[in-house]
Amino acid sequence: MKLGENKQEWDRLLFILPFLAIVPYLYSTGESSTDYWWLIIAAPLVFFATIAIAGQVWNGDEFWVNRLKEGGILGLGALSVSLSASIWLIYDYLDAHGHIESGDPFSWLTFDVLTYDSEGWSIASEGFSGIGLGIYLDAVSIMLLFVATFLCFLICWFAIGYMTTDSINDNSNHRFFAEFVLFSMGMFGMVLADNFLWLFIFWEIMGLCSYLLIGFYYWKESAAYAAKKAFLTTRVGDVFLMIGLLMLYDIYGSLDFAVVFDDPSTGVGGAAVDAAMLQTALLMLFIGAVGKSAQFPLHVWLPDAMEGPTPVSALIHAATMVNAGLYLVARMVPFVDVHHHGVAGMEDLGLIVAWVGGITAFMAAAIAFVQNDIKKVLAYSTMSQLAYIFTGLGAALWFFNNDKHHAGALIFGGALFHLFNHAMAKGMLFMASGSVIHEVHHAHDHLHHGDHGDHDFDPQDMRNMGGLASKLPVTATAMMFGSMSIIGIPLIGGFWSKEIIVGKTWYAYFNGADALLGPAILILATAGMTGFYMSRMWFMTFAGEPKNELVDHVHEETPWIKTPLVILSIITALGGFGLALYGMVDWLSGEADHLSIHKDTFVDQVIYELEHAFLPEDEQVRMIGWTTILLSFIVGPIFAARVYGGSLKEGEKATPIVHWLTSLSGKFGSQNVDELANSQFAEALQNRLYFDDLYEWVLGKTILPFSAFAAWFDANVIDGVVKQIESNSVFGSVQIRRVTTGSARDYILMAAVGALCIFALIWGVSA
Amino acid sequence: MLTIEEMEILLPELTLVAGIILAVLIPNLGDSTLRIPLTRTRIPVFIGGTRFKSTSDPRLPARIAILALFVAFVFSFLEIKSASGEVGGVIEITSFTRMMSFVFYGALLLAAIATTYRMPARLSARAPTEKDSESRAEALVAALMDNRRQVDFHILLMMVGLGMGLMAMASNLFFMFVAIELASLAAYVLVAFHKEEEVGGEAGAKYFIVGSVASATGIYGMSLVYLWSGDLDFDALAASWAAMDGLDPFAVIGVGLMLVAFGFKVSAAPFHLAAPDAYAGASSPVAGVLATASKAMGFVALFRVLIEVTMPEEGEALWFGILAIIAVITMTWGNLAALTSENPKRMLAYSSVAHAGYMLAAMAAVGSGLGDSSTTELVLVAIVFHLTILVLFKLGAFLVLGMLETEGRSHRLEDLHGLAQRDPLIAGSMFIFMLALAGVPPLSGFLSKLLMINGIVNISAGTGSTSADGIIPWAETVDPVFWLAMAIVLNSALSLFYYLRIGLVMFFEAPENAKPLRKALHLRNTILVLTVLTVFFGIGSGADYLLELVKEAVSDL
Repeated sequence: MKLGENKQEWDRLLFILPFLAIVPYLYSTGESSTDYWWLIIAAPLVFFATIAIAGQVWNGDEFWVNRLKEGGILGLGALSVSLSASIWLIYDYLDAHGHIESGDPFSWLTFDVLTYDSEGWSIASEGFSGIGLGIYLDAVSIMLLFVATFLCFLICWFAIGYMTTDSINDNSNHRFFAEFVLFSMGMFGMVLADNFLWLFIFWEIMGLCSYLLIGFYYWKESAAYAAKKAFLTTRVGDVFLMIGLLMLYDIYGSLDFAVVFDDPSTGVGGAAVDAAMLQTALLMLFIGAVGKSAQFPLHVWLPDAMEGPTPVSALIHAATMVNAGLYLVARMVPFVDVHHHGVAGMEDLGLIVAWVGGITAFMAAAIAFVQNDIKKVLAYSTMSQLAYIFTGLGAALWFFNNDKHHAGALIFGGALFHLFNHAMAKGMLFMASGSVIHEVHHAHDHLHHGDHGDHDFDPQDMRNMGGLASKLPVTATAMMFGSMSIIGIPLIGGFWSKEIIVGKTWYAYFNGADALLGPAILILATAGMTGFYMSRMWFMTFAGEPKNELVDHVHEETPWIKTPLVILSIITALGGFGLALYGMVDWLSGEADHLSIHKDTFVDQVIYELEHAFLPEDEQVRMIGWTTILLSFIVGPIFAARVYGGSLKEGEKATPIVHWLTSLSGKFGSQNVDELANSQFAEALQNRLYFDDLYEWVLGKTILPFSAFAAWFDANVIDGVVKQIESNSVFGSVQIRRVTTGSARDYILMAAVGALCIFALIWGVSA
Repeated sequence: MLTIEEMEILLPELTLVAGIILAVLIPNLGDSTLRIPLTRTRIPVFIGGTRFKSTSDPRLPARIAILALFVAFVFSFLEIKSASGEVGGVIEITSFTRMMSFVFYGALLLAAIATTYRMPARLSARAPTEKDSESRAEALVAALMDNRRQVDFHILLMMVGLGMGLMAMASNLFFMFVAIELASLAAYVLVAFHKEEEVGGEAGAKYFIVGSVASATGIYGMSLVYLWSGDLDFDALAASWAAMDGLDPFAVIGVGLMLVAFGFKVSAAPFHLAAPDAYAGASSPVAGVLATASKAMGFVALFRVLIEVTMPEEGEALWFGILAIIAVITMTWGNLAALTSENPKRMLAYSSVAHAGYMLAAMAAVGSGLGDSSTTELVLVAIVFHLTILVLFKLGAFLVLGMLETEGRSHRLEDLHGLAQRDPLIAGSMFIFMLALAGVPPLSGFLSKLLMINGIVNISAGTGSTSADGIIPWAETVDPVFWLAMAIVLNSALSLFYYLRIGLVMFFEAPENAKPLRKALHLRNTILVLTVLTVFFGIGSGADYLLELVKEAVSDL
């Protein structure tokens, strides 16, 4: 029996109990959570090494494979330590209303360095101590820490079911889990770091791990190519990021958040900061963020990254890496917030961020229209939703820089709230899509009796699905809630944040930011498009009649996969509303220092929030809000239902709400879009608007010739020098070894020569 | 006779003495009796006769040695912070001496553990009979021989420990010399211990000949020093040296001759030539002891003579130039020769020559007299720290080779081929040891090297021109001491080649013999513990803790 198909596996979880006990034990001893923040990073780091080594040593061992799930259980244990430690930290943070001491930074080395100042070169008395790793806690990092630790934990849980039951991975899953926890560590570290340098280091660790994970099936050419593409594309951004950091260091003489954010308007030595210079530095950081978060024009890597195993897609696209870019942009607020020592005159920064966001949102949504691969739809949807957040952050930066602190804070909080909602929903959607792919694949294997000859079959192609709602009830329900959250169906998850982003971006336009009209229109249109392509994906997969005979053989039977889906469905469905009630937006933006209900009673608060969401006082914003709802809730889904919807086969049973939804989708009639689908525009979308081709052409004309030259230079000039050194050294080595003749007489002779030299020297000194 | 207090502070050494006595007595316990003359009464004397079965167990000497060394090791460790005392006018116990004996006993303990696999005692050994095949008979004879040699080996091992321990606490030049000889003579025998292997005997003989010439030179130097000062106590010598008007030829030549003797002990060029032969001929655990404890012993002697006695209050020491030149030659020679060594043990031997060069360079920087008390202390801390952690990764590397040696191989680079396939854990450990030897962060080997280089730079930096407007013009004006740091850096770069080559062959070459390495549980665990400690003492609180300890020790120097 293959692993994971055995339902009696709950005892495996006993292994993580000791891990779970660590934090409660520390808590019970009265320790402070801020002294143990390092657990969050150390646990995955240690288990990265443990899993990697143990997986090599015990490869194929019965206990290792069946009990420890090739390291998956250990990884889950490590992530449970991170999760519990971060919940502890978050609890203390909320309990103290944000007034929390960050604990001692962990410093590796402190030593004196050679420095240059007006006195010339000398040894600095204080020395170099700038690489201490501490933590920087505010609402943003707390929220992201929760998102990252929580989702990494659930995705690891899911991955145990998904990876260890796949025959293609036999005996190499320890590689997956080791890289997985290292990746998680990178994200935790990046969120916690109190210093741009450490942020960058963890950022790069993530980059490395994403390369390794996307290329997990490295023997597949497409996977190796995708990994390379992702790595190189993000690398372009990273180079700019590094330049930006160097510029920041030049301006402030430090990369510590504490130093930099204390007063961003005065640089090193008290000099006033030049807005143009700072803006350039921040734009460089933004390019780094664009690469990491797959925004236009560095978006090309993300769809290809779907070559990785599905848990990796979930990890990269929901929990971690893509959020890193958003986090970096969110950290730019203190620079532009003129209300608090920010530097005035950087409106352009916000506008550029918003424009990049708007363009990406629209473009990605358009491309998602024609994707048939279930994961690719989700990938483009990720790009599009992240772009929403970028637009929101861009508008926030604009507001902050124009001394409209309150409006800025609101959209800033809204954007980050969308990050939260999107991460939860998209993490779940990817896992649900993984569940679909996994079960379809197994059904295919079952049907063809393990005959792997049929390589043309693609278990990710939605054209092979349809009508799965009754076969995969949990997955279908989960995916429904996830899609609703992404679409922004009123009251569900993402609705609460998307409304704010769209509304406030328009508000910015109405209040003088003429340049924001473009992004505002684009994201409004995208709202409707999101409604279409997300509904399309769901209908194509779950509704209608099966398009392939194997659908009858699909069963939802892997328990490791279902649990995270159920947990996240609940959070996605209710989390948005619930947190909105507790003032999440104000808390994230720093306007409120704790999460609580502001009105007297819960009912009052509910009424207030609903009023606020559906009937805002500003008439223009109300109009925009209703337009968004109309487009995303009515127009998009109904259009999708007309094309792709359909009720299930007679007699098939799904969960009630799913059943109702599928039959509803069949009632809108049907519409044939073949003509449209064959148009030139659709073809352009299929080809991702030719961006990849364009890049390849440009690279072929510019970079590749230079690379060829560099390779030549390396092989001949640099290697020549190195080889010369090497051959000289080897020659010297051979010569010097001749002295070691093996005869004790010669050794004594040499010693005597040495002694004589000593005397000659002493004589020289004393004479 | 020692008083109770004196016995207390000498507890580690007394344990070793007791261990040696027990190792002699216990295996010889038997039922022999002595007839009282002119009577028929026989009284049992227990020594000799038919040996008791339980006490003649061949594994016993190893257990006694491990226990004695372990007790000595633990007590040394516990007393590092509190040690102080004086015995008999020639022994002075300070934090520094306990730190060093901690290092010595630790190294010997590791060697003793490894030897239980390298030269195992087998209960099953028996005399061959005619039924046995030829090869079987040979193996049985070898096993019997190993059983018989247990006592000798472990007594010698404890003797080395006793000599080293006493040497560290000597406050008198002559007593120190006697202690060094005690350790050295036992070590010569250990090198040649496997006399059935041709190479062992040859190595031992060479090591002994060159070593005794060095010792003779040293004691001649001491006699000259005695002629000059009339006292061999270190304090008295230091006082005479400070009071010396100009340079007295007796004193100067005496110190120079001693430099030759101790140069041999630390294997400084050109006195190191016998070392690679000795290491290659000795069994790996013994070679490990030579590379770590024995080297540390040489450095303690250098500390005593160069820093305590002949270091002037101000200005350059007499030996500064000599030591600087020796240091640079030593490290370059060691690294160059290691570059093409095909024998891993020789390679490690040359690498240990190179490491001696680094430490000598640091010491030379102290001798330049440019530093103030804090920078001097920094450098001394770096040297002692390096000597301490060398036990972790240098000896660790020898233990890995010892593990290979248990299957009769470790003298060719090919024997390491594909080790990662045969035993990934051990190969990984070996790789970490190699990286630590090369000084790759965040391992402890990096930290000590960094401390040394940083110390040297700090000592020299104040001499640079303050008006230079770039790093290169500044470097041109700086005292030559600065270039010692550069020499270490360049040599480290060179050394990476042969350290990484070990990693290369372990991970990327196909093994000649793909069957897994033998289990050797205790040795394996020891190696893994050393690996963990190599990392642990390189970062964070582990490094802080050890540095604190070393600082304590050095402040007592």
